[in-house]
Amino acid sequence: MSIRTAIAGAGVALCAALPAAAAEGERVTVTGEIIDTWCYFSGVMGGPDAVTGSAHHTCALWCSAGGIPVGLLAEDGTVYMVLKIEGDDQSASGDTQLSLASHEIVADGMLYKRDGLNYLVVEKVVEDKGITKLNHEDYGVVPGFAIPKPKG
Amino acid sequence: MKKLAFLFALMATPLAAEDFSANSTAKSWNLYAEIPATFEAKVVDILCTVAGDCANECGVGRQLGLERTADNALIFPNKNSQSGFQGAAVDLHPYCGKMVDVDGLIIEDEDIAGATNIYLVQKIKEAGADEWAKANTWSKNWAKLHPEAKGKGPWFRRDPRVKAIIAETGHLGQGLTPEEAYEITR
Repeated sequence: MSIRTAIAGAGVALCAALPAAAAEGERVTVTGEIIDTWCYFSGVMGGPDAVTGSAHHTCALWCSAGGIPVGLLAEDGTVYMVLKIEGDDQSASGDTQLSLASHEIVADGMLYKRDGLNYLVVEKVVEDKGITKLNHEDYGVVPGFAIPKPKG
Repeated sequence: MKKLAFLFALMATPLAAEDFSANSTAKSWNLYAEIPATFEAKVVDILCTVAGDCANECGVGRQLGLERTADNALIFPNKNSQSGFQGAAVDLHPYCGKMVDVDGLIIEDEDIAGATNIYLVQKIKEAGADEWAKANTWSKNWAKLHPEAKGKGPWFRRDPRVKAIIAETGHLGQGLTPEEAYEITR
């Protein structure tokens, strides 16, 4: 190993150990559904199609209120982890994201990428279309206990 | 020269792929893509770290991440160790800005776009400390915030905000009564 090679290697190692600076964002407009990311990524309640839309709406409310990160699932399958919505930085249990659970929205904001994840700062919800994916007709309710059995 | 090369080789070690599961004692959740993982990390405010929005850094209610020492990867804890729809930010909040050791399950599922560096944290301690703390504080914290919701059953059926939304638009978000929603989903 030459000294030059060794020094270059050390430089790479040192750079890897330093905290990464905030990345420069990219302005984007994304249309998609506000989802709960844990159920979507982990498969804990089944495949991705079953943990979105009306079938999973109650669970999406529970997860959002419980502080599980919400994501914006775009039409092409990309998931954007939502960090802020129209100035509300309460991304763990916040009111704004809770009010949008399962809704299809058009979001304008800044996109940041790091280590395989997309992070979105929503500057404006351009349109809130409400819940448009009516997949309870296919999946029922997910999980099944989300709707209590009526008494009597 | 050999000593210099050895020193640099040691410094470069973190760049190599590392097995974070070797010393993990995390319990399985029987998830398809779970991998036990224990590692040292700095607890960071994600909005500040990735977007430079630091005015309210480490504030309550912001998502927190784990900047892993070995490779500087930003790991996103989506879940704590409790079984009832709780995230991890409340458990991580006391450690924001600090170095910690964590143990849990990492999700790496190449079949789902974006399912990488997602973490379920089961226990946490300040780096080098002896005693682990279980990442299960969310529900007690919720109970303190909502004394009016005290009662039987799990928190998610008593949460005032969730109850208000369901009362207005129903369990499926379609304006159905609980009876109607139950009936059409059976």
